[in-house]
Amino acid sequence: MACGCGSEKKVIITACSGAANTGLMADRVARSLRDRGDGSLICLAALGAELSGYVETSKAADLNVVVDGCPVGCGKKIYERLGIPAMQLVMTDFGAEKGKTVIDDAIVARAADGAESRIAESKIAAAGA
Amino acid sequence: MKIQILGMGCPKCKALERNAREALEELGVEAEVEKVSDPAAIAEMGVMMTPALAIDGKVRSVGKTLSKEQVAFYIKEAK
Repeated sequence: MACGCGSEKKVIITACSGAANTGLMADRVARSLRDRGDGSLICLAALGAELSGYVETSKAADLNVVVDGCPVGCGKKIYERLGIPAMQLVMTDFGAEKGKTVIDDAIVARAADGAESRIAESKIAAAGA
Repeated sequence: MKIQILGMGCPKCKALERNAREALEELGVEAEVEKVSDPAAIAEMGVMMTPALAIDGKVRSVGKTLSKEQVAFYIKEAK
C-alpha cells in the first residue's frame, strides 16, 4: 500500500488471467512483477466490474500496466472503456503461442525480465514528460 | 450518510479528515465519519494508495488530499 506522503511512482498491474495458456502466463508474469517490486497487483475483474476503489486507484496511478495473454487484448479494452491510460504487455509478444506453448518457470522469468524493462522505460519517459 | 477516511494516520490522511469534517459543517450535513486504518480493510475496498475518501461505500478519491471544497463537491453529489 502506497501512502500519498511518499514521492515514489505508483505502478498498478493487472492481468487478463484468461482461460488459455497465455492467460495463465499473463497471470504468472503479473505476479512475478509484483513480487519483484515493480508495482501493486489488483484484480482486473474488479476493474471490469467497475468497483469504485479499483477504478479510482487506477485513475490515481502514475502508470497502469495491463498484462494481456493474447492480441485479443481484453484487459486493455477494459481500460479503454473506462478511459484510463494503460501500458499493455501481450504474452504472445514474449514468445508464447496461444494454445501451444507450455508455460513453465523459464518462459515466465524471460517474459517478466522483458516486461520489467518496458516498465522501467515507461517510468523514465513519464519522469521526463 | 457515512464518510470513510482511508489511511494509516499520516499527515495527509489527517488533513483529509479535517477537510471532510469542515465540509460537512459548512454544508450542514450530518454524517458518520469513520477512519479506516487497517491496511487489509483498505485493500479490500480496492484502494492501493492513501489517503482515500469513500462516501456511502463508494470510493470517490484515492491518493489525494482533497480540499474542503472538493470534499463538499463529492458530498453534494452523493446526496
